Amino acid sequence: MKTPISLQINGETYLLNVPIKKTLLDVLREDLALTGTKKGCDSGECGACTVLMEGKPVNSCMILAVDAVGKQISTIEGIGGIMELDPIQEALVAHGAIQCGYCTPGVVMTVKALLDSNPHPTEKEVREGITGNLCRCTGYVKVVEAIMDVSRR
Amino acid sequence: MSDINYWEPGNLIDAVSLLANMGDQVRALAGGTDLLVKMKKGPINWKGIVNLKGLTELKGFVFEGETITIGALTQISSLIENSLLGLHFPVLVDAARSLGTPQVRNLATIGGNLCNASPAADVALVLLMYEARLLITGPSGSRKVPVHEFYVGSGQTVLQLGEILTAIEIDLPPLNSKGVFYKHGKRKSHEIALVNVAVLLTPQPGTKQISRARIAVGAVASTQLRIKEAEDSLREVIATLGAFEKAAELTKEAVNPIDDVRSTASYRKQMVGVLTRRALVEAWGGEL
Repeated sequence: MKTPISLQINGETYLLNVPIKKTLLDVLREDLALTGTKKGCDSGECGACTVLMEGKPVNSCMILAVDAVGKQISTIEGIGGIMELDPIQEALVAHGAIQCGYCTPGVVMTVKALLDSNPHPTEKEVREGITGNLCRCTGYVKVVEAIMDVSRR
Repeated sequence: MSDINYWEPGNLIDAVSLLANMGDQVRALAGGTDLLVKMKKGPINWKGIVNLKGLTELKGFVFEGETITIGALTQISSLIENSLLGLHFPVLVDAARSLGTPQVRNLATIGGNLCNASPAADVALVLLMYEARLLITGPSGSRKVPVHEFYVGSGQTVLQLGEILTAIEIDLPPLNSKGVFYKHGKRKSHEIALVNVAVLLTPQPGTKQISRARIAVGAVASTQLRIKEAEDSLREVIATLGAFEKAAELTKEAVNPIDDVRSTASYRKQMVGVLTRRALVEAWGGEL
């Protein structure tokens, strides 16, 4: 049994038929091929699936697709472009804040929302802001440096 | 994968009658951060979801006189962002900040934290300390239940079929009271408490005497507890380290924790004493 829904993602409207149990994350990846959003723990822990809902970071694995109807969703595909990276992405690259890269799309989305609401955060605010994005490679030092750098621009 | 049914009632009356008619076959969805985890872990013995998102009247804050009313569907992140709440109920904001991650706090609701009835819940523990009242609407009308009468056991509340928690009412604590919330976990953030403690001390003005004390502890019994024996031991006594140590010892004796994946019963018992003493000392201002 599928339910017809309409989702607003990166400013586009998508008409879909989805099972009730299907998460926003799985719809993004499997139905819309927006695979920039990653599936890590699938239980609201790791933050790899972070997208913005009404401008706020949320775990897309913790939202049913049917529950996202009527909300503005932004994914990593809506940030920057292949030839022109967002300043957050540029800073992460410049600081070598990426190793395996699996957490990176989620980090970018979280930082986007953080800097939109607080353009010049303290290091403490940055560290608190990214507590929901687990990175098992970098130890966070370069991630934090990159965010502090971009926030000073 | 068999799918489930789904409803989005547009108002409270419809939501109540849906939940009452469907009984145990359905679950109410608020923020989803607990419900979706349970769904994915499975197996689930229910067949439908009643999404409460259409009940927009259950969201937000009303300050009136000495009382604040918070809609049950208010997000945890909204508690943190509300400056009036931070001014009058700072300990509630501390607990909200310690819950989950920014991503979880943008979804999770204050009502969900209560109705999930986890003994380790952070925001719910502070509501127990602040002596909040819960407004509940069901098929036979509305009722008010104090938080300390809300829990029946781990994961179980007094909510009957068809009943929905609609709002939380909290009175301003007595003037000059100071509260403290402590959460003990293995990590600084993104943690479920091994033990959590919320205390409130009200001093006798102009003296070194304690007028009243409130002590609430979590993750050390099947429900969160107020420790009356410990609170009474501090009533109208001079604040000393010894008095706080005695209250902490009484707290330790009153709890009944379990061994589980996150910790052991003996460690929890030890730590609830340590944290209660520290919280009381800090609430008194740290100087004794």
